[in-house]
Amino acid sequence: MRTSISLLSGGVALLAVLPFLLSAGLLNAAVQMLIAALFASAYGLLAGRAGMLSFGHAAYFGVGAFATVHGMNALGGTGLLPTPLMPLVGAGAGLAFGVVAGWFATQRSGTAFAMITLAIAELLHSLAPQLKGLFGGESGISTMRMPAWGLNFGSTTQVYYLTLVWVLISLLLLHFHTRTPAGRLTLGLRENSHRLRFLGYDVHRLSVSAFAISGLFSGLAGALQVLANEAANYVVFDPAVSASVVLNSYIGGVGVFLGPALGAALMSFFGYAVSDTTQAWLLYQGVLFVLVMMFMPQGLVGLGGLAVSRVRRLGAARALPLLLAWLLAALLLAAGAVFLVELLQRLCSQDYRTLAAQAQGWPPVNLLDATWDVTSVATWAWPLGLMALGGGLLAFAHKRLRTPEDAA
Amino acid sequence: MSSFRLAALPAALLIASAAHADAVKIGLLETLSGPQASTGQTFRAGVRFAIDKMNAAGGWNGQPVQLVEYDNQGGPAGASDKLKAAIADGVQIVVQGASSAIGGQITEDVRKHNLRNPGKEIVYINVGAEALELTGEKCNFHHFRVAPNAQVRTKVLVKGMKEANALGKKVYSINQNYSWGQDMEAAIVDNAAAGGYQVVEKTLHDTNKIQDFAPYIAKIGSSGAETVLTGNWSNDLLLMMKAAKGAGLKATFGTVFLDQPGNISNAGDTALGHFIVHAFNGEAGGADGERFVADFSAKLGRPPVFVEPQTAFGLDMVADALRRTKPEGGKLNVNAFARAMETARVKTPMGEASMRAADHQILMPLVVSTVTRDARYKVDGTDMGFKPVKVFSAEDAAMPVQASCKMQRPS
Amino acid sequence: MDTLLFSLLNGVIYGLLLFMVSAGLTLVFGMMGVLNFAHASFYMLGAYFAYTLQGVLGFGAAVVVAMLLAGGVGAVVERFFLRRVHHHGHAHELLLTFGLSFIVAESIKLLFGNFPVNYQVPAALDGSAFSLGGQQYPLYRLLMGGVALAMFALLYLLLTRTRVGIIVRSAIYRPRMVEALGHNVQFVFMGVFGVGAALAGLAGAIAGAFYTTSPNMALEIGVMVFVVVVVGGLGSLAGAMLASLLIGLLTSLAVGIDHSLADLLGLLGARAWAEGVGGLLTLKLSSLASTLPFALMLLVLLLRPQGLLGDKS
Repeated sequence: MRTSISLLSGGVALLAVLPFLLSAGLLNAAVQMLIAALFASAYGLLAGRAGMLSFGHAAYFGVGAFATVHGMNALGGTGLLPTPLMPLVGAGAGLAFGVVAGWFATQRSGTAFAMITLAIAELLHSLAPQLKGLFGGESGISTMRMPAWGLNFGSTTQVYYLTLVWVLISLLLLHFHTRTPAGRLTLGLRENSHRLRFLGYDVHRLSVSAFAISGLFSGLAGALQVLANEAANYVVFDPAVSASVVLNSYIGGVGVFLGPALGAALMSFFGYAVSDTTQAWLLYQGVLFVLVMMFMPQGLVGLGGLAVSRVRRLGAARALPLLLAWLLAALLLAAGAVFLVELLQRLCSQDYRTLAAQAQGWPPVNLLDATWDVTSVATWAWPLGLMALGGGLLAFAHKRLRTPEDAA
Repeated sequence: MSSFRLAALPAALLIASAAHADAVKIGLLETLSGPQASTGQTFRAGVRFAIDKMNAAGGWNGQPVQLVEYDNQGGPAGASDKLKAAIADGVQIVVQGASSAIGGQITEDVRKHNLRNPGKEIVYINVGAEALELTGEKCNFHHFRVAPNAQVRTKVLVKGMKEANALGKKVYSINQNYSWGQDMEAAIVDNAAAGGYQVVEKTLHDTNKIQDFAPYIAKIGSSGAETVLTGNWSNDLLLMMKAAKGAGLKATFGTVFLDQPGNISNAGDTALGHFIVHAFNGEAGGADGERFVADFSAKLGRPPVFVEPQTAFGLDMVADALRRTKPEGGKLNVNAFARAMETARVKTPMGEASMRAADHQILMPLVVSTVTRDARYKVDGTDMGFKPVKVFSAEDAAMPVQASCKMQRPS
Repeated sequence: MDTLLFSLLNGVIYGLLLFMVSAGLTLVFGMMGVLNFAHASFYMLGAYFAYTLQGVLGFGAAVVVAMLLAGGVGAVVERFFLRRVHHHGHAHELLLTFGLSFIVAESIKLLFGNFPVNYQVPAALDGSAFSLGGQQYPLYRLLMGGVALAMFALLYLLLTRTRVGIIVRSAIYRPRMVEALGHNVQFVFMGVFGVGAALAGLAGAIAGAFYTTSPNMALEIGVMVFVVVVVGGLGSLAGAMLASLLIGLLTSLAVGIDHSLADLLGLLGARAWAEGVGGLLTLKLSSLASTLPFALMLLVLLLRPQGLLGDKS
């Protein structure tokens, strides 16, 4: 308990001083990471605690976003809702839409529920481009952050602090919700809703409340994105957005409160950092998803938990070197695989093929600021060797890290 | 922690770049991954070619022009993020073309940034986002469109097809239901008098969602139209033409994006006899045209296709403006560059192109071509190519400034 | 009249194509509860395999081999990927298939490039079947419809009249009992998944030549296939057929209807009001042709969540 509180306060302190450590571009990425973390946490409430897998959560995010952009344009940042309080509009819209959609969706459960949420999101996604007044067509609706409370909200730093304050408040409220009786009951929804009904609770109303709260905070996250980007576009209803929040949550691990937030922050940063470096970054993302789903079903938080349990069981002196070896092995495997994929990507690209046709052979390829001869064995030995080494080290570390308790 | 190391890297870059006599950085903010990546990568090829040409001619301020590439991940939100990253990296000229939605986002973000940061302005060179509103109600001093738009394309296409006697009296308009398609539909209707035709029916359909165009072809057939005018691109155009062939529809298609790679090879013989309006045709450019094709082939191993020529010509205009902008304090003054850009003129193989200061829309020549077997430059590895029908000069192609453009100029 | 006939025929054929792709998905869904996001990827794989093999084996053989290869990939996916995460729950299986769909799409982009490839209908099959009112109807479309109907018939007979079918159907309802009776349920699952993937691959190999073959194929047909499966009923083959035909006809006929709700209200004398309100009321049905399936899906889910022909289990 004490360690987790000190860890949390350390984390918050780091977040507070981030603008002084990062460049403007990275700070903006941090803003997007915070927004993704809040969205994932809102989703984690529904999927992780209440056990209701929703596939159309982008709808509530988007509704919150559009409500906020209209609010910003209508109210101009003054009067009742100055700019810093604008996310309340998004939260309210998310709540309202969440209640309506949730009332319908939670009448069914399991796969039917998931399909209903998908259908709602897809319906919105299909209709939005037609309803120009509400959704602004494919260029969306743009707005501008108006000065309020003595700040002009022009710089990324101010936007960052605004986002940080809202995200921290929301996470606190979400955590508080888990401590209330209603929050505890949502756990019951996941475990055994049948029994809950027999205990006298109105399961439908509980489900709707969980759905609505999730919608509230999703709408708030959408509002924060509009504040950051000063625009809302109907592509926010795309199934890819719904899918990404599900993926982020499960990669982080829905069993723990901060799991989805962690997963979302990491994947958001991954997309930002890697998309400019390589053309095959979506492939790497897909491979990451598959690997996490197969080998880390508890998510990355689960991985952390496993590591801690190993240290406890084997003792720090024995466990830590093995964990480091495991990490090194993973890095080697990744490096080898990335090298191979990048080589293949260059070999199969249109430009290379035309060059090869002209040169009547196999011209060298450019990778990592060096040229590699495709026909030589060394070029292929590098990635394969790295992967073999990594694989061997991984098997070794894995075997040594096993304890008798694992077989049970 | 890794955040320190990450923070140090851009800082080091900034310090390093400050140590040089400043090179100008051009940022390409394109769709380089995801479903529309093919279009973005074509724009990128054109931009890379033009930047290499700029640097071969000496760059700017004694330094080579630096091209920094950003992947906007296919959406306006990603474009907004990467724009902020580009600004943080010191990029002063942003180039983009693959999507009007993203273009709309970028032009608004550029406008807001310039409002908030006087003295640190950036400029947006639009090489392909052809929505009319970008030089209409969203027109902005720091946005320059060096690509055509729906109005000029339709005007030229109608004129060209009329002169080739391919237009007929009954025209069917079918377009995608978003700003580009709606602009095209409006332009097709506006040109009815000039083209001497009657628009028998107009259809707007969902963008990139329809697999089966047979119902639409059935509608076209029953309307009795002789010509179909469309601004469709990618699958929407291809599937429509395939469905037309399947049904044996005897209409001539007048298109804008028939030269997208993959269209001709996939359509096969169906494509013969259809028309396109585009920015470049190697056969119609004379010696200059041949030289451009030869240069491009030398660099990329194949002749320029699709949007690559218009991108290259647009960036030639940027090069012209850069040449006439003297460095101030060793750096590029973006407002001075923009003023130079407003009066830019370049000679393209198709004719002279100039920038119109009133709405920052380029006035450029366009060429109408038809798909035949006896074209000089074959496309897509087939035996077919585009044969020019007529080249229209920039004056002939131009359309007046839109009334909705109220450009605010810096003093 | 001719237009109506054409629209009906087109709708039926498009529906049959949807059925070809969704047949496998509904079986897998019904049997294993796995929402396979990668199903449309098998469709795409089938098309690309057939394209690659067409030059070597000729069209017909290429289609058959592509189908078998897609089925093989499906079996491998089930055996080595899905089986591992089965006990973690539906969410994990689903996300795994989602990740796989990414991998397949990106690998295809890596190997074949971003643009559509030149996979064409062979000249022998490229003629017209008949003419109606001045418009021709392509032979290949009828062929696609024929293959889909044959597939339906074969599957139906397989499931209801053969021993294998009985085992498969009982494994849907009572896998433990079937296992207790000595059948290898794991193998049955793998087989069903493989067959489902093979069917999707066949659909891809055939349709890819007629429509375009590009890395975005999976995305384009993916969502519609889900709608079909949900509307038809999870696990019900006949339901999938009914739903596919319904959706095919709906989209095809809606394209011809240029009226909107405002026109309907005009019959009641409220047209001016409706046009004043604008928005949803003035949208033409023809522009909404692609939205209608989702509205149908929502309606079915709310009123009859087990689908039109599904079982209330």
